[in-house]
Amino acid sequence: RAHSSTEQDCCTTLVAASGSSTILPPFSVHRPAGTLRQLFRVSSSTFISTQLATFPTYPAFCAGASMDSRLANTWRLTVNEKKFIETALASDLRIDGRKPLEYRKLTINFGREDGSADVQLGHTHVMGFVSSQLVQPYRERPNEGTMSIFTEFSPMADPSFELGRPGESAIELGRIIDRGLRESRAVDMESLCVLAGKLVWAIRIDLHILDNGGNLVDAANVAALAALLTFRRPECSLGGENGQEVVVHPPEAKDPLPLIVHHLPIAVTFGFFSTEYTMVVDPTHSEEAVMGGRMTVTVNASGDICAIQKAGGVGVPQSEIMRCLRLASDKAESITKNIKDAVEAFNTERMLRKIKRHSTAVAANVSIENDVKGQKDKLAGQRVNESSMSQMERLKLKPDESSISQNDGLGSETRSSDQISSQRAEGNAPLFLGGPSSWDPHTHGVDPDFLKASLAAQGKSNPKAEQSSEDSDDDVAMQEKDASEDVKPPSLATDSSETVEEQKTSIVKKTLKDAVKPKNRRRKKTRS
Amino acid sequence: METDRKDGRTPNQLRPLKCSRNILHRAHGSASWSQGETKVLAAVYGPKAGTKKNEDPEKACIEVIWKPKTGQIGKAEKECEMIMKKTIQSICLLTINPNTTTSVIVQVVNDDGALLPCAINAACAALVDAGIPLKHLAVAICCCVAEEGSVVLDPTKLEEQQMRGFAYLVFPNSALSALPEGSYLVNGEPLEHGIITSVTHGVMSVDEYLKCVDRGRAACAKLSGFLRNSLQKSQFPSDTSSKAA
Repeated sequence: RAHSSTEQDCCTTLVAASGSSTILPPFSVHRPAGTLRQLFRVSSSTFISTQLATFPTYPAFCAGASMDSRLANTWRLTVNEKKFIETALASDLRIDGRKPLEYRKLTINFGREDGSADVQLGHTHVMGFVSSQLVQPYRERPNEGTMSIFTEFSPMADPSFELGRPGESAIELGRIIDRGLRESRAVDMESLCVLAGKLVWAIRIDLHILDNGGNLVDAANVAALAALLTFRRPECSLGGENGQEVVVHPPEAKDPLPLIVHHLPIAVTFGFFSTEYTMVVDPTHSEEAVMGGRMTVTVNASGDICAIQKAGGVGVPQSEIMRCLRLASDKAESITKNIKDAVEAFNTERMLRKIKRHSTAVAANVSIENDVKGQKDKLAGQRVNESSMSQMERLKLKPDESSISQNDGLGSETRSSDQISSQRAEGNAPLFLGGPSSWDPHTHGVDPDFLKASLAAQGKSNPKAEQSSEDSDDDVAMQEKDASEDVKPPSLATDSSETVEEQKTSIVKKTLKDAVKPKNRRRKKTRS
Repeated sequence: METDRKDGRTPNQLRPLKCSRNILHRAHGSASWSQGETKVLAAVYGPKAGTKKNEDPEKACIEVIWKPKTGQIGKAEKECEMIMKKTIQSICLLTINPNTTTSVIVQVVNDDGALLPCAINAACAALVDAGIPLKHLAVAICCCVAEEGSVVLDPTKLEEQQMRGFAYLVFPNSALSALPEGSYLVNGEPLEHGIITSVTHGVMSVDEYLKCVDRGRAACAKLSGFLRNSLQKSQFPSDTSSKAA
């Protein structure tokens, strides 16, 4: 039944498209009608075989309640689009404008805590989180830690991803990444041993697929690696009698340790099409629906092959496979560099954050004493002042929960954040031109501002001048009860280039100062 | 009485808010909402054909999937799903598309207190981004009651754990209407005075709870202004005249 319907589709498509020659393969226009039908029979069978070959990417066809509604809800590539993709590939063009061997743009961002990474490969969006806990080791490997990878094909990524048990492609993805990391001994397991035979660290990697734009394996692999490189596990020491008790030190007592990663296995996926051994690197979602077979090669930057996965599909000659391996090592080098640069930037920021925390901890004590010695209303004014100051401080410099206890008076921190906010406001528009893909805007604008901020933390004289004028504003604000609160237009104007909007509305009447740093006040409401 | 909060906010201050929408390419609607460090990503697919087994086929069905950051889905997640489903059901116009399912998928990116209100705000923005017909928007806030009885808004995770009790409150957003003043009042009160959802944890007296509701309502008025503005803003970088009045 499916066979005849696609045949019909092919015929109608060609008739309709006979005017526009771009969709047709070039040789078919001049043939008489009889051979055209033959051509269609051949091509429709290949269409069906490609469809069948790509079924594994739509996992949930067999299980579940109503087959009809699920079929109605799945996305299918039209015959026109399939033909277009294949024809374009014949002239070395891909539908998103890339060359066949070109990789998409890879963007790696990190979250606040250690061990959380967000990777975007074109339209594909994957998040990785790494966590650890102490467990008993496996019996046959008492000296090694364990590592487990959990992949979640979130229904958010694709309407065909179902909740519940992972489908074939989810399991395959998890296994490829697992093999690349575990069997190539990329992560050092023996350093995770605490008490041989009793307690070891178990590393858990959670990969959340948020957006399916094709080539999930590569993106998820990069997310796992980035998260592993930035993860820090708590330091623990042996104590008690016999040295059998394990004390896990919280992060503020002792710095957590990074994992030992020997090398970075990078996965590169190739897509093979049934027409003339065409091959593409990093297929998109539509190309995945058309292609006849795929191969994933996991290599590291030194050219060692960690894993190769080619599960069925179109047969590929040996020379092509060798070509793929060579291409993969090249790509692996550039991707490794990409990951390492991003991790470096994150580590630098982390270091600056820690340095800042320590320097302000000292300064904060001083300011607390000053406040206590000062008058009561000045105290109230100052505190309101500090609290109403830049939110950049909260966003970027927020210490870990552990160190909140250290910084009770955030005087100097907030003052220095004034600087950051003013610099940030000016640099705001260009920094945020990442568009909707800036997942964590914190990390975009951080580096230059952080350096300035850490310098600013040393000198408090500058912000004091601003602080005194703010004082008067906020005293006024404290008294008036503003029912008609309004959002600040200047803040929106600077941000109009971005969908991310940062708004802190405040009761303070607008002065020139507000134009300079529009987004640095929290919304305040007077006590009712 | 000023309660000294660890990060220097006054009891009535909210953390900085950030809202962005249309961040995912496959989902019909998507939004991310962050309050301070708490960040939630929501995606909406729908309406899809057919309803679930025990649902009323004469109405649209809302399905909420809550994805925690790490770990398995357990009872707490199921409870959050149920609360969000009921909240969203009360703001959607369910009779427009009968016998359809709209899925809302919520992914927790970071949890630093007030997670459920953040998720409800994100889901509401995602529903607007997807174009699902709604009666009005919903804005959510978390109010907690300190030991001495004062009310503190928008706690961080540490504060939530230390406070005596806290309440998640969801209100309708304040209406900006061209109709005359009295025509959209419900029982003589404006629409935004009603409570859509209220979930409390811990111990608090009736007076404290009513104080929470008052404060929460005032905060939600501001929140709904923010939400309206961020949703009206154009998402195209080239469009500099971004928002309406």
